[in-house]
Amino acid sequence: MPTGSNEGMTTIQLDTELVTLDIEDSIATLTLNRPDARNALSLDMIAAMETALAHVESVAAEVQVVILAGTGKSFCAGMDLKAVQDDPILMGDMLRRLAAVSRRIRRLEMPTIARVQGAAIGGGCGLMVVCDFSFSHADAKLGYPEVDLGICPAVVAPFLVKRIGAGPARAMLLAGGTMSGTDGYDAGLATHLVAMEDLETETLHFAGKLAKGGAEAMRATKRWLNELDGSLDDEQLSKGAEISAELIQTDEAQARLRTLFQR
Amino acid sequence: MNDLVALDFDAGTATITLADQNRRNALSTVMFDALEAAIATVETNDATKVLRLRAEGSAFCAGFDLRAMAEEGMLPEFLNRLGGLCRRLRELHAVVVMEVQGPAIAGGCALVSAGDIVHASPDATFGYPVHRLGISPAVSLPTLMGGAGFGAARRLALSGQLVDARTARHLGLVHRLASDREALALAVDESCRRLASFDATCVRETKRYLNHLDLTDREEGFDSTLDASVKTARLPEADRRLRAAYDSMRARTGR
Repeated sequence: MPTGSNEGMTTIQLDTELVTLDIEDSIATLTLNRPDARNALSLDMIAAMETALAHVESVAAEVQVVILAGTGKSFCAGMDLKAVQDDPILMGDMLRRLAAVSRRIRRLEMPTIARVQGAAIGGGCGLMVVCDFSFSHADAKLGYPEVDLGICPAVVAPFLVKRIGAGPARAMLLAGGTMSGTDGYDAGLATHLVAMEDLETETLHFAGKLAKGGAEAMRATKRWLNELDGSLDDEQLSKGAEISAELIQTDEAQARLRTLFQR
Repeated sequence: MNDLVALDFDAGTATITLADQNRRNALSTVMFDALEAAIATVETNDATKVLRLRAEGSAFCAGFDLRAMAEEGMLPEFLNRLGGLCRRLRELHAVVVMEVQGPAIAGGCALVSAGDIVHASPDATFGYPVHRLGISPAVSLPTLMGGAGFGAARRLALSGQLVDARTARHLGLVHRLASDREALALAVDESCRRLASFDATCVRETKRYLNHLDLTDREEGFDSTLDASVKTARLPEADRRLRAAYDSMRARTGR
């Protein structure tokens, strides 16, 4: 894309640099912007996402599609547990906040697209599948290695079940590990697989098509799908976060994490 | 236990092997006895993190033993016992890994649907060709609907058709497809080794929450679906059809 073609693009001033928000042609792009930490989700990062989401919600009538993206090599490396490694209570709170921000993305009125250019791991993969569409490429790294680390992935389970079905989600979460973008596409994590060099243009092209559709029809459809698949069920979604939060505070989980951080 | 089922423990993994290959590992009274005893042993073994269920011979499990149903009227009892096994596998503290190397038919397919992670080789087949015998596969539905989803469960349970491993993977009943039987065993080895290295509490709680999400933690789901199967099993229609199928099998095989 030629530089200087940002006519019509508005960059929203947020009181944070961890996330950027641009709106152009009724397509909002919310970009995780902490590349030196592989866009890992710290409490500040989650707060920044909430700020950006609040802005999108406040101008919802003018935004037809939201793209969720990441700066740098990774889309999102998951929860930044290392940053709070001495505070298990705070780790639990982070998982609850992740659940809350995921729910908020899910309940945006307009369709959402994750543009996954690199690793989307654990909570990062959770953000990818909570979106209505996920674009990725063959060499991305996707998955939920929580059980490998002794962490319980209950917090991300509900939206994975809704995306790929309960049986495959069961197998994926219990087996842990990560996979390539191609395998992730086969498993249904990504809804679209394109060449790496076309990722931005393909995502934007698709977003443009969605934006041209009838906004009200689109919103009514999404609302109804959310209702049908339990995305509005606060109790079920909170339960997952509580289970994950409770388990991460156990001595066993803390011991496993300490070993991991020392590597 | 008897020699129809082998149970081995190795480093956090319990392996149950169906070993009645001459009868394609059919679920007979003795097979149920052995399988139930093996699972009971695993249930009381806290150190077990993974249960691997595999089979010897050409078939994984051919379903209920036709002779016992036709000559001894065992169908209602078998349905109850199968429903109980599916529920216990789902409630088990260990992750249940299925290694399906050949046909998993009717009751055999029900067992597969109760697994957490299903590996299969290309010669595995799946399905419920039981309506022609007057049997309802409803007993399988809680885990089948929970795992493969409503659409796939409807297709499998109503069509009576067998699907191959590739289709079963597409339907969400199979999760890992190996290139052949040898690769299957290696893949399951690796899968079990990994699973056994995970934190037991973490895996147990994850499984429990997944049971909650797909509703397989609800007793009434298992009970009502079992009622539906057992009800049809007690009809004279089932008896007549089973008898006819058994006679035709004997005429065919000369046994």
